[in-house]
Amino acid sequence: MPSTLEKIRILGANSRYDICASTASSRTDKYPRLFGKSNDWIGATSSGGICHSYTPDGRCVSLFKTLYTNKCIYSCKYCYSSICKHKLSFTPEEYARTFMKLYSMNVVEGVFISSGVCGSADAVTEEMLEAVRLLRFKYHFQGYIHFKCLPGLSQYLLKEAISLSDRISINSEASNKEFLAEIAEQKDFTNDIILRQRWLKSLREKYNEKTIKELKDLEQDNYGKLSFQEKMIKERRKNGYKAFRWDGAPILNGGQTTQFVLGAVESETDWDLLNRIDWQYRKVDIRRAYFSAFIPIEGTPLGHKKPAPLEREHRLYQTDWLLRIYNYNLNDLKDIVDETGNLPNGDPKIHIARVYFKEHGPLDPNHSTYQELLRIPGIGPISAKRIVNLRAKKITFKSRSDLKSVGVVLKRADPFLKINGHNQTTLNNFI
Amino acid sequence: MKTRNSNNIEPLRVAGRYKGYSKEELKRNLPRHCKFSPYILKQINNVADVTLRNSGSPLAKKINRMMKEVFSEAYRAKQFTRTEINNRGVLYGVVLLKHDVIDLVLRYFHERWPKCIVCLYNEHSRKTSLINEKGFIKEIKVPLIEVVEMVSEKHPIMPYFDDIQFSGKDIFETLYKSQFIKKRENPHYFKQMIPDHCYKLPGMRNGTEKRFLNNNRKLDEYIF
Repeated sequence: MPSTLEKIRILGANSRYDICASTASSRTDKYPRLFGKSNDWIGATSSGGICHSYTPDGRCVSLFKTLYTNKCIYSCKYCYSSICKHKLSFTPEEYARTFMKLYSMNVVEGVFISSGVCGSADAVTEEMLEAVRLLRFKYHFQGYIHFKCLPGLSQYLLKEAISLSDRISINSEASNKEFLAEIAEQKDFTNDIILRQRWLKSLREKYNEKTIKELKDLEQDNYGKLSFQEKMIKERRKNGYKAFRWDGAPILNGGQTTQFVLGAVESETDWDLLNRIDWQYRKVDIRRAYFSAFIPIEGTPLGHKKPAPLEREHRLYQTDWLLRIYNYNLNDLKDIVDETGNLPNGDPKIHIARVYFKEHGPLDPNHSTYQELLRIPGIGPISAKRIVNLRAKKITFKSRSDLKSVGVVLKRADPFLKINGHNQTTLNNFI
Repeated sequence: MKTRNSNNIEPLRVAGRYKGYSKEELKRNLPRHCKFSPYILKQINNVADVTLRNSGSPLAKKINRMMKEVFSEAYRAKQFTRTEINNRGVLYGVVLLKHDVIDLVLRYFHERWPKCIVCLYNEHSRKTSLINEKGFIKEIKVPLIEVVEMVSEKHPIMPYFDDIQFSGKDIFETLYKSQFIKKRENPHYFKQMIPDHCYKLPGMRNGTEKRFLNNNRKLDEYIF
């Protein structure tokens, strides 16, 4: 019988290529707490999580990130589980208890539960859900839980996973059917990934619409929020936790995420990935995408391949940020992608700005819109909002130092700015 | 431009703070600094808000530095304090805080463990601070072990906490080692994330992380 330590060693190593962020603030004080304000509940997610440790590669270790089992019927060509000789599984009780110990030591902030598919996805998910149920209802943990949806999972289990976790992710691995078939031939892109992502979107929207509406009605109601919470708590006691309705808090606040393996398929370009991400942001409402640069593992069918450069991962994260936070259009990115369909070296925002400002000329921060300001490197959403707000108070920017005091990084912004009709010239201009 | 944000936040609303701190924030938090003198507050009262928020002025520079020191110490304590919990629901640990931020750290643990009594021993002041279930804070000049014993005596053994009474140090060490991908090693980034001064904190002195520091390499690793 393998010990818990042995299981953590092997199952942890199996899941180390999975990426997640514990710093996702999944709930806010705007809505009532998931389980009310009782002192019985342990853990907190109302503020952003804190990273309690970092590995020597600089990535944070703040979630209890292991596989539930590494027994898997799939043989994905890049995956460590497929060649790992030691096949192990946690038991739900062991998993929950180990996590609570780590949580009491202040070394982890939440749970990331993923698994290999042993037999059927439903059977493994049932066990994973049992571990999560134990955490929620035996150990009264109301902190952050990131649940991984396995390919082929049934809708009724996904529904339950939604009601128990803060974030659910479905690994896309590749940008389309053909590329996925090259690295994981048993997985069906349309059915296992896209369909499940659509389910997640519709389930979450339906549930949250209902709860938000109820909350709004109750705020107008004379009884206020308190009676609503009381009503919910009574209902829970009557029906048990399966029929439990969250105390008005919209569920799955961390949303759904996805992950791609970069460079496992040689012909897959950055443009393919960006297209897929853009589609997922618009159609299935993913919160964010993660990229994991391919690292060949000896013994796997792709063990002989070259690793993907980490630089590529970095560029894609930067571009994803532009799509997600800066609300750039996919067409803006089209201009900077090279003939091979990949992003050039260097900051994508600067590349886009060079193309954009060549046409439009430098911008005057006193007359540009919020969206135009966002196009200038060195100006982010916060400093752009500050500039617009100050302008609304009839404050004009007369010098570069005015801009510096609102947080603009002049080093980057200078070539694209025109203040009082003057443009800061650079050595390049003379040359 | 399309807005992908599902919640309808007004796009021009300032997310976060304006640069610098308000006078109220300064009055509340500057006295936490170990080198605080009431003369600074007098200066703040006599200076316009704009000057304080403009990071170029010497006073604003000094104040911002002091505030940064206060908050970063509290943050590092929340990050790197390692705690233990006994079977009577007493959560305890050791911190090293130069500034008066113990209440911030205690409240952080209280929010996570509202049923527990949290005891933190500050190595700098050599005092133990406690926060009870109701959120009241007390500071006493008694060693941590004695405080934990005293508090534990008044509380019965709780099955919930009794269930997690086993050593977790090895578990964390194993988890930590299992997450590291050798091919992605980046000592510079690692040092950025855990700066050297953090290894002086009580929770990190014998931490697993320290063994991975660049200057701890064995001679073998250089030869081969």
